[in-house]
Amino acid sequence: MKCPRCESEKVNLLTKAPVDDAWEVYICETCTLSWRNTEGPNITDPEKYDKRFKLNPAEFKELDQIPPIPELKK
Amino acid sequence: MAYRDLREFLDLLESENQLVRIKEEVMPEPDLSAIGRSAPDMENAPAVLVEKIKGYKTPVVLNVHGSWQNHALMLNMPKDTPVKDQFFELEKIWDRYPIKPVWVDKKDAPVKEVVIEDDINLFDVLPLFRINEFDAGFYLSKALIVSKDPNKPDSYEEQNAGTYRIQVKGKDKVGIQPLPFHDIAVHLKHAEEKNEPLPIAICLGNDPVLSFMASTPIEYAQSEYDFAGALKGEPIELTKSENGNLDIPSRSEIVLEGYIMPREREIEGPFGEFPGSYSGARLQPIVKITKITHRQNPIFENLYLGMPWTEIDYLMALNTSLPLYKQLKRDFPEVKAVNAMYTHGIGTIVSTKSRFGGYGKAVAMRLLSTPHGMPYTKIVIIVDEFVDPFNLEQVMWALTTRVRPDKDVFKVPYAPGMPLDPSSEPAGMHTKLIIDATTPVAPDFARDTELLAVPEKAEEWSKTLRDLVKKGGNK
Ligand SMILES: [Zn+2]
Repeated sequence: MKCPRCESEKVNLLTKAPVDDAWEVYICETCTLSWRNTEGPNITDPEKYDKRFKLNPAEFKELDQIPPIPELKK
Repeated sequence: MAYRDLREFLDLLESENQLVRIKEEVMPEPDLSAIGRSAPDMENAPAVLVEKIKGYKTPVVLNVHGSWQNHALMLNMPKDTPVKDQFFELEKIWDRYPIKPVWVDKKDAPVKEVVIEDDINLFDVLPLFRINEFDAGFYLSKALIVSKDPNKPDSYEEQNAGTYRIQVKGKDKVGIQPLPFHDIAVHLKHAEEKNEPLPIAICLGNDPVLSFMASTPIEYAQSEYDFAGALKGEPIELTKSENGNLDIPSRSEIVLEGYIMPREREIEGPFGEFPGSYSGARLQPIVKITKITHRQNPIFENLYLGMPWTEIDYLMALNTSLPLYKQLKRDFPEVKAVNAMYTHGIGTIVSTKSRFGGYGKAVAMRLLSTPHGMPYTKIVIIVDEFVDPFNLEQVMWALTTRVRPDKDVFKVPYAPGMPLDPSSEPAGMHTKLIIDATTPVAPDFARDTELLAVPEKAEEWSKTLRDLVKKGGNK
């Protein structure tokens, strides 16, 4: 299975439904996107995920930090 | 007081026909998001209690604050109270600050009825769902989050209870967005300077005045709890968190306790925000959840936000307007009311009497130098004292009959802006637009205009007509 957003293959089962095994939730360890297997292909299918919201993990380091990490004080 | 907590407020809403229940089972997606979007679009919009969600045990309530009727009931006013009257009621009860809380023992606190310490899985308790299509995950959008300054662990006043968006990232892990200008960021900075975890409590399903105060921009050393007490006219009940010595509402539905991991950041977002567009992905802190406490049969409260108006616009409407009004009124006593409820004050309308020519422009410039108005407000409209700034039909009348664009409209280029305003360019800079829609007074002048008066006895007759309608028309 691939992450629909960043196409990383580091995808884990996050949880199963507490009742009736109704669904499963997956999470991408690379970009932290999570999704439920009962959601539409617009969310779950890497081919159909909207291109405007795709992410490239190589660029994560350049993202802003909110808030910035302060200097250590002794 | 008519209610003490969320469930009593829901009873009140139901008795006033301001709550509907959905009894058939719904899917978490796309139903819950669609319900949250649809409810505030209705006239007299109700809160919606969804009793059964596929795969989950807990019900969810949406749109608790999402109409002027519900907002009036929160303030203990009749549900048909006009917005302007709610504004003046709020002004009045605001001045009762502070009303100090009372502390109850953990054994008497409803939120401690169930304590979960082992095998924590947020999905067991919370019916989590995706709010908008390209949100990075399932979000808590209406949590009251408590933290203390680690350098002043005994300071009750500097304890903060605010609302910050939370992205669920694991069974016992969430992401949080402490914006640098918000109080929790000060607490986090002090913890991170010492490389210490910052204990927090994420409180869900609260007394509606607590949600209201958690999103109000009060001063750093003021207490949200003391204000909530003032709004209610009686103390809020608090209790102690299991860890971290935090003061939490004793009647919350669910509390997630944990700590922000120091000096770590991880990708968070995007998330659909109140200006009606997505805010991007950034590196933000992570919270480890160590304990969950909740009431028997808890109710999960969350809100939908997106293209205005949604529930959050009602929640942030008067609590943004009131502080601006108080700040203007101090220096310009002629100011009558401030409506800063459009997109969190990015558009603001002020009604004022003009002491002398050009006064409206001076009031606008003062607004643009207040703590909230300086970065947020981009479009200012000033109207006469007899125009209700909450009544857009009257404001449009003022624009069409009082504005001469050659002298009443001006711009302040490249002034402080609000980064979440998608038109700010670069993000956080924008040009201000000021429209003075007041009637000129000396030494300014205009063509003679005489306002039409209201016919004698009109007030009597409107009461008679209203009563007749209530009785069904006198058939
Ligand atoms: Zn991914």
